[in-house]
Amino acid sequence: MAPPPQFQRSSSPSQPSGKSEISDLKLQLRQLAGSRAPGADDAKRELFKKVISHMTVGVDVSSLFSEMVMCSATSDIVLKKMCYLYVGNYAKGNPDLALLTINFLQRDCRDEDPMIRGLALRSLCSLRVTNLVEYLVGPLGSGLKDPNAYVRTVAAMGVLKLYHISASACVDADFPSMLKRLMLNDPDSQVVANCLSSLQEIWSAEANTSEEAAREREALLSKPLVYHLLNRIKEFNEWAQCLILDLISNYIPSDNDEIFDIMNLLEDRLQHANGAVVLGTIKVFLHLTLSMADVHQQVYERIKAPLLTLMSSGSPEQSYAVLSHLHLLVMRAPVLFSSDYKHFYCQYSEPSYVKKLKLEMLTAIANESNTYEIVTELCEYAANVDVSIAREAIRAVGKIALQQYDVNAIVDRLLQFLEMEKDYVTAETLVLVKDLLRKYPQWSHDCIAVVGNISSKNVQEPKAKSALIWMLGEYSQDMPEAPYILENLIDNWDDEHSSEVRLHLLTAVMKCFFKRPPETQNALGAALAAGLADFRQDVHDRALFYYRLLQYDESTAERVVNPPKQAVSVFADTQSSELKDRIFDEFNSLSVIYQKPSYMFTGKEHRGLTDISEELGNLSVEAQPAAEALPAQIYEANDVDLLLSTSEKEEVRGPVNNSSAYRAPDYDSTTAALVSSQVPLEADLSIPGLPAYNPQVSSAIDDLLGLGLSVAPTPAPPPLALNPKAALDPGSFQRKWSQLAISSSQEFCIEPRAVVALATPQTLLRHMQGHHIQCIASGGQPPSFKFFFYAQRAGQPPSFFLVECLVNSSSARVQVKIKADDGAAAGDFSALFQAALSKFGE
Amino acid sequence: MPVAASAIYFLNLRGDVLINRLYRDDVGGNMVDAFRMHIMQTKELGTCPVRQIGGCSFFYMRISNVYLVIVVSSNANVACAFKFVVEAVALFKSYFGGQFDEDSIRNNFVLIYELLDGKNYGFGYPQNLSPEILKLYITQEGVRSPFSSKPTDKPVPNATLQVTGAVGWRREGLVYKKNEVFLDIVESVNLLMSSKGSVLRCDVTGKILMKCFLSGMPDLKLGLNDKVGLEKESQLKSRPAKSGKTIELDDVTFHQCVNLTRFNSEKTVSFVPPDGEFELMKYRITEGVNLPFRVLPTIKELGRTRMEVNVKVKSVFGAKMFALGVVVKVPVPKQTAKTSFQVTSGRAKYNAALNCIVWKIRKFPGQTESTMSAEVELISTMAEKKSSTKPPIQMEFQVPMFTASGLRVRFLKVWEKSGYNTVEWVRYITKAGSYEIRC
Repeated sequence: MAPPPQFQRSSSPSQPSGKSEISDLKLQLRQLAGSRAPGADDAKRELFKKVISHMTVGVDVSSLFSEMVMCSATSDIVLKKMCYLYVGNYAKGNPDLALLTINFLQRDCRDEDPMIRGLALRSLCSLRVTNLVEYLVGPLGSGLKDPNAYVRTVAAMGVLKLYHISASACVDADFPSMLKRLMLNDPDSQVVANCLSSLQEIWSAEANTSEEAAREREALLSKPLVYHLLNRIKEFNEWAQCLILDLISNYIPSDNDEIFDIMNLLEDRLQHANGAVVLGTIKVFLHLTLSMADVHQQVYERIKAPLLTLMSSGSPEQSYAVLSHLHLLVMRAPVLFSSDYKHFYCQYSEPSYVKKLKLEMLTAIANESNTYEIVTELCEYAANVDVSIAREAIRAVGKIALQQYDVNAIVDRLLQFLEMEKDYVTAETLVLVKDLLRKYPQWSHDCIAVVGNISSKNVQEPKAKSALIWMLGEYSQDMPEAPYILENLIDNWDDEHSSEVRLHLLTAVMKCFFKRPPETQNALGAALAAGLADFRQDVHDRALFYYRLLQYDESTAERVVNPPKQAVSVFADTQSSELKDRIFDEFNSLSVIYQKPSYMFTGKEHRGLTDISEELGNLSVEAQPAAEALPAQIYEANDVDLLLSTSEKEEVRGPVNNSSAYRAPDYDSTTAALVSSQVPLEADLSIPGLPAYNPQVSSAIDDLLGLGLSVAPTPAPPPLALNPKAALDPGSFQRKWSQLAISSSQEFCIEPRAVVALATPQTLLRHMQGHHIQCIASGGQPPSFKFFFYAQRAGQPPSFFLVECLVNSSSARVQVKIKADDGAAAGDFSALFQAALSKFGE
Repeated sequence: MPVAASAIYFLNLRGDVLINRLYRDDVGGNMVDAFRMHIMQTKELGTCPVRQIGGCSFFYMRISNVYLVIVVSSNANVACAFKFVVEAVALFKSYFGGQFDEDSIRNNFVLIYELLDGKNYGFGYPQNLSPEILKLYITQEGVRSPFSSKPTDKPVPNATLQVTGAVGWRREGLVYKKNEVFLDIVESVNLLMSSKGSVLRCDVTGKILMKCFLSGMPDLKLGLNDKVGLEKESQLKSRPAKSGKTIELDDVTFHQCVNLTRFNSEKTVSFVPPDGEFELMKYRITEGVNLPFRVLPTIKELGRTRMEVNVKVKSVFGAKMFALGVVVKVPVPKQTAKTSFQVTSGRAKYNAALNCIVWKIRKFPGQTESTMSAEVELISTMAEKKSSTKPPIQMEFQVPMFTASGLRVRFLKVWEKSGYNTVEWVRYITKAGSYEIRC
């Protein structure tokens, strides 16, 4: 329990003028402490209230501890409650003083009023001071045997609290088995529920170390216990029912009769007013019937109405949670809602997160019977005031078109979007038209006519511009203006800041050159010259590659750049079915909201730190461990990823069958999401071995292409170790910095705790030193700081890594530029650096 | 694992902590800072109610001028968490006399701590939120007592025994001089109509609210004119179903007091009610909805700087009934300079902040129609493009004694072993949910 130690930034009405008020309170409390005068309790109440209001706004009132404890010798239950609250808040920070309270808490645990017994026991368990554990065991033991149910519920929870303070004390006192007995025999449902939740947590935590605990955890799913709970489920309150339903969803019945028995028993839970109970029941139904396809289908029919009700009633936040689940279900059974599509029409005043999910639902349930209506509705949203929803709507139309229903009409609609002359509508539509053309080349004639009329000046977004340039290159034979538009764009090369666009421009002008050589020759020369002079490594590399290719043999170059293309039949889904199944297993939890299984996002507390440091120890070039070691970056990706439609995550499986060869072997969807923006590029680079631009694997690509770097990709280089005593004087640092090209530049988020720790930048320097990364210069004022670091590789040949690191503490973003003597190792070092940085502030 | 909340925060709009409650040590102390920095101070505030920062997930809801934030570090049950917040706020409201905002929280923080701490959130697990039972544990008085019409609370010595038993939501030994039951059927109609006048989407979400002031442990039985219930009844009594309108309910959910087993077998709603106010059931209907109002807009653009807006509203419910508080919001372009109106009833006003003409009619009788014609002058702008984004016309209203679904209460029987007489009051009202007409 840690209220922020310093004063809140902004003042609140009840903020005291300073120390004087606290000492004033202290004085008053002291005067009242021994007082037995009538009305003293009322005066105390007022004072206590003041103290607690200070505590709430974050003022440190721990100095009043002894006075508060003195005043707590009272029979007034309101005073007692406030005092318990205060003690619970500050005991952790003042273990010595907490000892003072033990006495009166223990006494209260033996009070005749069960209410006071329960409250005292709860407060005692909330002290969270390790060296007071011995005083806890006794009262907890008698609490579990208390004749009063309220005290037992508190004690059952208290055992869990004790476990978190000291696991060994809890297990040694044999509390888990006492809980187990209580769970099976107690007449009070709340006691049973609390025992269950405590035991679940304790056994799950213990299961890693003890086999017996693992067995006990399995026993929680045994038939007698499950039946015991099932038969009593109506006695439990709604929240406890959720707990039990969750437990039952993991139960594996022995035969079909058992399944039907359980379902009949729980059938009426689907009509419960509490949406959480309904969802819990749905989970049980879905999981029980997995093995029976036809019953499973009936379950879908049965749960449809309750789900739709849950979605349309309640707060938008609740609808959001329900819609996420609906989306998961509809992906498994698309026909399920095909006649209910009207439920997913957006209301004007709904928050955008609900609208977004509804658009995804509409996309997912579109089929022959309803496409026309759905697309008509989506077109309404394209004119929506909310720009992000308008964009989503257009993307949704495109996605439906790619599903092959009623393509004809949809292409017309998309082309109408282009005529709306709104920049963002045009931008989104261009990207879609490009994808459509790759799937349905037969539409090129209609599309190209319209696309040709778009002035490239009106298209600013890199993605849209890239799409337009791709079309110009691909269909230059049909667009009379194509070479001239491209030439114009190349003339303005310097105004174009996105490397994605520059890369596309290079490729497009190459394609155009082979189709209409005389008109394009000048432009190609200019483009290659500009590309070779480009300071961005990948642009430079591609220009050089084209240049050498042309030098080598023109017809080969043509084969490489303009091969006959096959239409893309299916845009691949990045989420593997295994992943989807895991999410389905975790129905009714955050996994569904984040659209990823829990192991991918549950915190460092559960998995993280030790694993990460192990990975660091044997860091290899593979993309995945590197990505794993960068929690900050993944979390950021999560944020971005959260609501992106699937098209964002769709990866293109290009016409070349071995396109995966140049992908890092362990490329999973997490990392794919990180680079999704670059992915579509791949399509036009249709030779084997020519990679998509991707900063993380760029070194590997360079190797494959034999460009500039001669290090072979296999075998994997030894793990990167840094020289702990690296030395570099400022002069040589500066020289190296100006000589070397940037081998890696990245931007990512750091954790809030790191930002907090940045209050004193010196700590960062010491922290990085601990990872053998030295600082040579630093500076800046909040919120932006700049650091220059260097490190040296241990072993031979000794090569240096130079880092420029910009930290913005208000946005929590970090920009890192890395230059290296040995460019091939820069990727490893970058990962190492980020991992070191991500641990800052712990 | 359902919701094992690590912490709960109440923040005001500036991000100051009003209430904080830490349940577990697995999240850092400065989670509020993280929330402020990553969510409140960014544009992402409205984009998603569930966010992940560091290893922790934040669930947050804004209620009036307060943010309620739940922090969890495990793979929690989101629906359960949001449901809990909604219920908790309802509970606080009942303690604060219907108010839930920054001021009422500041005035009652000790009470909130007590509520958050004790019975309803044990170590981050939701426990019990039933107001009746909680009141036995909570000793602080709220600013106002929720059920002021009730006889004074007698202290119940064996309070803690009440937590269990088959009737967890009702306390024994209640006595009222006059036994009364109030039943309200409240429906909200949602409509989305296309600019061509065809209904794109239309449904009714209804709820039955009850207020019971009954002595002892009464058993109540409610009969509605819904199709399933009527069919079952005629089947049981083996006589043909009465002709007349029957309503098909798409989906029904009940308060925990309703005996669901009996509902499933006999299709009757029978229950032992909690004391005071509660929501008995909720339902949803999509077929056979009677729309109370028809709206016929015509919008003409006369040149670049003038527009003519005509809106005709027809009431199509019974002539003896009337609607109250009718508001029609007609959107106009941002660059509106001047407006002039003619209305056949009510008053119209241009609201520049909302960019719409707000037309209010206090009392709107059934089977009548009313029109508003407005002339709108626009500031001529350089932009040639006509604005293609037109928000829909939105409507608000309340029609007492009318249900859009046609649902009616056929009977409400109260049975108690002492056999006292009860007075039953039944009311109906239909409100506009999201009533949108595109133009």
